Amino acid sequence: MGKATVIPFGPQHPVLPEPLHLDLVVEDETVVDCIPQIGFVHRGLEKLVETRDYNQFIYVAERICGICAMGHSLGYAETVEDLMGIEVPRRAQYLRVIWHELSRVHSHLLWLGLAADAFGFESMFMHCWRLRERVLDIFEKTTGGRVILSVVSVGGVVRDMDDATLKWICEVLDGIKGEYEQIMRTLLTDTSIKNRTVGVGAISKEEAISLSMVGPFARASAISYDVRMLGRGAYGDLSDFQPITDAQGDCYARVKVRCLEVLQSIEIIRELASKVPEGDIAVKVKGSPAAGAQASNVLEQPRGECYYYARGNGSKFLDRMRMRTPTSQNLAGMTVALKGCDLADVNMIILTIDPCISCTER
Amino acid sequence: MEFKQGFSPLAPDAVHAEAQRRRDEGWRYVQMLAVNRDESADVIYSYMREGDLENLVVEAVPRDGALDSISDVFLEAFVCENEIHDLFGIAFPGLAIDFKGNFYRLSTEKPMTIISPEQLARREKEAKAKAAAEAKKAKAADAAPEADMEAKLAAMDPEKAAKVRAAMEAKAAKAAAEANAQMEEKLAGMDPEKAAKVRAAMEAKRAKAAKEAE
Repeated sequence: MGKATVIPFGPQHPVLPEPLHLDLVVEDETVVDCIPQIGFVHRGLEKLVETRDYNQFIYVAERICGICAMGHSLGYAETVEDLMGIEVPRRAQYLRVIWHELSRVHSHLLWLGLAADAFGFESMFMHCWRLRERVLDIFEKTTGGRVILSVVSVGGVVRDMDDATLKWICEVLDGIKGEYEQIMRTLLTDTSIKNRTVGVGAISKEEAISLSMVGPFARASAISYDVRMLGRGAYGDLSDFQPITDAQGDCYARVKVRCLEVLQSIEIIRELASKVPEGDIAVKVKGSPAAGAQASNVLEQPRGECYYYARGNGSKFLDRMRMRTPTSQNLAGMTVALKGCDLADVNMIILTIDPCISCTER
Repeated sequence: MEFKQGFSPLAPDAVHAEAQRRRDEGWRYVQMLAVNRDESADVIYSYMREGDLENLVVEAVPRDGALDSISDVFLEAFVCENEIHDLFGIAFPGLAIDFKGNFYRLSTEKPMTIISPEQLARREKEAKAKAAAEAKKAKAADAAPEADMEAKLAAMDPEKAAKVRAAMEAKAAKAAAEANAQMEEKLAGMDPEKAAKVRAAMEAKRAKAAKEAE
C-alpha cells in the first residue's frame, strides 16, 4: 500500500452539475475513505415560511429545485392539506399524479443524458435530452411553464386538462417510448458501458437497509420500497404497482432501475389518463392551520423518498416547514459506495446516485 | 401497506436508546428536524416501518443545549445533526462526521433561531387581538351577573327591590362620574383638537348605548 493522499473532488468538477465537495483519501489508486461536504448553495428557504403565508409559500417550495419543482409543490401542498384536514377532489389528485410522473420521466431522462455524457456517449446525451424536450413541451402546453409549473395549489390544482389533451399526452408518450426503448437497449447492452458500471460501487442489501437508503439507489440494492406503493392519492387507484428493483447494487443496477422507471411512469400516466374522474379541480380553502397542529408526509421524488413537515401557529403563517430530501438520506450510502473503489470510478458512482444538492441544502 | 403517521413525546436522555431500539426492531431512520421556540427548540426524530411514520418529539431543548448523537446507530443522521447544529445551535456530542459548525456557509450564526421583525410584529398583533377577544369575553361575563340580579330583584319584596335598585343605580352613577372625572383629567392634558375628537367619540358612544338601552 502506498502513502495515503487526500484528493479534493469538487465542488467544481465536469461531472457535477451541482456543487458537492468530497475529500477522497486515496492509497495508490484506491479510495480508502471519503468525507462529503455540501453547504455551498444554502439559501435558507425554510426560514421564508415565516414571512410568506401558507398559500404564498408554495411559490417558494416549487423553486427549491428546478428538476424536482413539481414534486416539492405537491409534497408541500399535501402536507398543508393534511394539517388543515382538506380533502382534495379526485380529479385534482389524478392530474397531480400525471404531472408528477411526467416530471419523473423528465428527471430520469435528464440524468440519463448526463450519465451518457460521462460515459463519453455524447450523441446519446443529446438523444436523451431531445426526448426530454418533448416532455417539457407537454408541460408547456398543459401548464404554461416548462420547468416551474406552478400548477399545484393548496386544495387542488389551478389548471384542468380536457380529454383531448390527455389523449395527446398519451400519444406523445407513445412516441417517446419507442425511441427511448432503443436508447435503453444500447445503454443496457453496450460492452463499454458495462465495463464502467458492472460491479462498480456495489452496496449490498444489508448495507442499504443499515444506511436507510431511499429511491432508485436503494431499489438497485434489492430494497423493495417506493412511497408510491403506499397507494396515496391517485396511486391507490392503479391496477398494480410494484417497485422496480435489482439485486446487484452496483452502478449498472442503478442505471437499469432508473431506465425501467421511465417506462413504469409512462404506464402509470397512460392508466390514470384513461380514467380521470369528472369533478372539480380544487376546493376553496378557508381558515388557518390550528396553533400547534403538525403534520408529516412522504412523497416519492425522482431521486427517492422526500419527507415534509409543517407546524401551524393559528395564523396563516406556518411556524415551521421542513423538507428532508432523498440526497440528504443517501449521502452516507454514497460514502460507503465510494470506499474501496478505483479513483477513476468516483465520478460514475456519484452520477449513478444522482445527487441533487440544491434540494438538499434548500 | 397503508400510510400512517403519528407524533409522540420523547425524553431528551432517551434519544440514543430509542434509536438503538428502533434499529433493533427494524425501523428505518427517516430524518431529524428542529422547530424554533422563543428560548428553546423542539427536536423531532422520524422513523418508519412498513408505511408507519413515527415522529418522536423532544420538547424544549435549551438554546445551545445538547442531545446525544445517533450517528453511531444511523450513520446517515450526521447530515441532519450537523445541519441542526449550524442552524439552531444544538450540539450533538459523539457525531460520526462532525463539521464543527462548518457544514453550511452561513453569514449569520444560528439563523433559524432569529425571530424576524415581520414575525415579531405579527406576534404582537396576534397578542393584541387575543387580549381584545378576552376583554370582550370578560365584559360579556360581567353582563351576566346583572341579568341574574334582575331575576333576583323580580323575586324580592317590591319595596326592598326598589331600595336595592336605587342603591345599585347610585353606585353605577358614582362609578360613571369617577370614570368621567378621570377621563376629563386625561383630556385636559391632551392636545385640544385631539381632546375634542375623543370627547365627540365618547358622546357618540354614550348616545349609541342609550339608544340601544331604549
